[in-house]
Amino acid sequence: MNFLSTFAETAEVEGNVFSALGIDWTLLILQIVGFLLLVVLLGKFVYPWLMKQVDDRQKNIEQAAEVAKQAQASAEKNQAEVEKLLAEARKEAADIVSTAKLEATEMVATSEAKAKSSAEKIVADAQAQISKDIDKARRELHDETLELVALATEKVIQKKLDKKADEALITSLLKEQK
Amino acid sequence: MARKLSRRQIALYMAAQLHKGAAPKQVVSQLAAYLVDTRRTSELELIVRDIQFYLSKEGVVLGTVTSAHELNAATLKAIEAFTKERTGAKTVTLDTQVDASLLGGVKLEIPGHELDTTAARKLTILKTRYKKA
Repeated sequence: MNFLSTFAETAEVEGNVFSALGIDWTLLILQIVGFLLLVVLLGKFVYPWLMKQVDDRQKNIEQAAEVAKQAQASAEKNQAEVEKLLAEARKEAADIVSTAKLEATEMVATSEAKAKSSAEKIVADAQAQISKDIDKARRELHDETLELVALATEKVIQKKLDKKADEALITSLLKEQK
Repeated sequence: MARKLSRRQIALYMAAQLHKGAAPKQVVSQLAAYLVDTRRTSELELIVRDIQFYLSKEGVVLGTVTSAHELNAATLKAIEAFTKERTGAKTVTLDTQVDASLLGGVKLEIPGHELDTTAARKLTILKTRYKKA
């Protein structure tokens, strides 16, 4: 309220509102011209460059964002592919392990069968060999017994068969042959 | 040069000579001379055997009797009788041999036949025939 009162009193004294406000028309116009000149200069030389820089920056940012987006998409895609590959690898590994287990089981079974067959063959061969050896021993014993009997008979004949007995034996043999 | 005579021809000739009554000494001399002359003395054994064979066909049997002990006349006579009966020969001449390894019994060898009743042979049969190995 005091300020307004002071302003009204000043205006009445000087008779001009602008003067009362302390505005100098010349200075104002110069300031306006200067301002416009500044605006024109800025609009001609600074703003286009500035706007261009801003646009470039924006474009760069957009490009970077786009690249980042593409990279993310690529990364996501790669991640998916990696996961898919990992899944396939895991499945393949599981298949390999399963096949290996199966083959190992089959190999063990085959080896057991072979070992069993081999053991049975060894036992059969041993039995056959033993049987053969027993037969051979029996034959040899038989033959040795024959040899001994023949030898003993020979000794007995040499001792017991004298000339007289021999002649009687010959006569008897001739009769038998008739 | 004279043709080479076969063993059969020589044996037949010699057997015929002996059968006709030629002196055995003379026949043997002829044979020996021929074999020496023709360098065929290695065939003597075979020719003598052939002569014995052809003589046996004519009823004259020459044989060998081998025994462990010397045989007496009666036993030899029995063997001659046996030989005659077996071969149908008119004349039998036996040569005797003693071989103690025969143990007992008699071995009679005549052309085309052999009779071995010796104990040694029987023992050999026992040892060989019944052997298993």
